[in-house]
Amino acid sequence: MSDIRVLIVDDEVDFLETIVKRLQDRGFIAKGAENGEQALDYLQHNTVDTVILDVKMPGMDGLQVLQTIKLRWPLVEVIMLTGHASVESGIQGMQLGAFDYVMKPARLDDLLQKIRQAVERKKLQEEKIHRAQNQ
Amino acid sequence: MHASGRDMNQNPQQEQAPAWLEDDRLLQAHKLAALGELSAGLAHEINNPLAVIRQEAELLGELLVPGILERFPDGQDIQDSLREIIRQVDRCKSITHNLLNYARKNDPIIQAVDVNEIVEDMVRLVEKEAKCRNILLTRDYQRDLPLVFTDAPQLRQVMLNLLNNAIQSITGRGEVAVSTRRGGPSNLEVRIRDTGCGIAPEYLERIFDPFFTTKSPGQGTGLGLSISQKIVARLGGTIRVQSALGQGSTFTVTLPINETGSNHA
Ligand SMILES: Nc1ncnc2c1ncn2[C@@H]1O[C@H](COP(=O)(O)OP(=O)(O)OP(=O)(O)O)[C@@H](O)[C@H]1O
Ligand SMILES: [Mg+2]
Repeated sequence: MSDIRVLIVDDEVDFLETIVKRLQDRGFIAKGAENGEQALDYLQHNTVDTVILDVKMPGMDGLQVLQTIKLRWPLVEVIMLTGHASVESGIQGMQLGAFDYVMKPARLDDLLQKIRQAVERKKLQEEKIHRAQNQ
Repeated sequence: MHASGRDMNQNPQQEQAPAWLEDDRLLQAHKLAALGELSAGLAHEINNPLAVIRQEAELLGELLVPGILERFPDGQDIQDSLREIIRQVDRCKSITHNLLNYARKNDPIIQAVDVNEIVEDMVRLVEKEAKCRNILLTRDYQRDLPLVFTDAPQLRQVMLNLLNNAIQSITGRGEVAVSTRRGGPSNLEVRIRDTGCGIAPEYLERIFDPFFTTKSPGQGTGLGLSISQKIVARLGGTIRVQSALGQGSTFTVTLPINETGSNHA
């Protein structure tokens, strides 16, 4: 579990600081970003396995950020966090390539489980591409 | 919002996008599919010469031992130039990497999945909207189901589409019942039953067609079921539908358990 790199994007700074700390306590390399622009900037300069992304943020909204991430770093898995669920946004997000949608507040154990699954998926995808490229 | 059965008969022109629009969208869909194939082919083709270029450049670098370079006035430039060639080749490699990835986007990634959990997660996502519309959501999940080897996000997408359809089929009060069960020795079933408007018999065989919709423009694109069916087929399963006009519909997704999950496409 030790070297999983997670980026959490949420404009609620208190929530952000707490979850970053809790993930770090569990051995993750966790980093917080307060908005989409910051997140994209971080991704530009750092390798990340999984992004946890709040759907509703001022500035770039979650779906926009998701779309950009999947376009520029398609292997990075994104878990969407949403407080007020709209079915429409859920369908859109899944179509844009989100790994999962999680309702806030999420239990940390559930979230950890999902992060692990997302990271496993990324690994499988990388292996697949590697095989395809070496055919 | 959903047209009632009678509305559908009165407005047959509404059932489908105008021909020119449909053509355009179909074209778009075909284009994307073709682009996917093209880019995969292209990526493969380009990878081989790229590997050769890189290898030759490295070889050149080794041949130009420092002693030789010093005899040229531009020795350092030659070395820089070689390094740049290798750098740019690596850049091209990352482009082909992305192209291959794009082409494989729809390729399932197989993981062990708890279907009850996936279904419940998606039910929770639509719960609030259902409540707002006075729709009762009930669950009946069979416990101790085996894990299924399948593509989790794609399955989520299917569940959301079916749940969304079920909710949209109900005007006024109604019920959406979601259940899971072992369907046989090697498969599971997820069932989504609604007490909505039902589907006219003459439409039943068309609902999985791309762009077939009875919803008013802006309400539905008619892609939900066709996408879902494609996904489920790729995952080795089926979607069945039973419906009685005015009474409701039941969509049943059958998924193979695939005990030996394999990611070899
Ligand atoms: N649960 C249901 N009850 C009644 N009719 C349904 C149900 N599910 C699907 N249909 C019918 O099948 C049509 C096609 O469904 P589909 O999900 O493919 O497209 P849509 O819901 O119209 O639009 P979209 O899903 O793209 O927003 C619907 O317009 C509707 O007429
Ligand atoms: Mg639909």
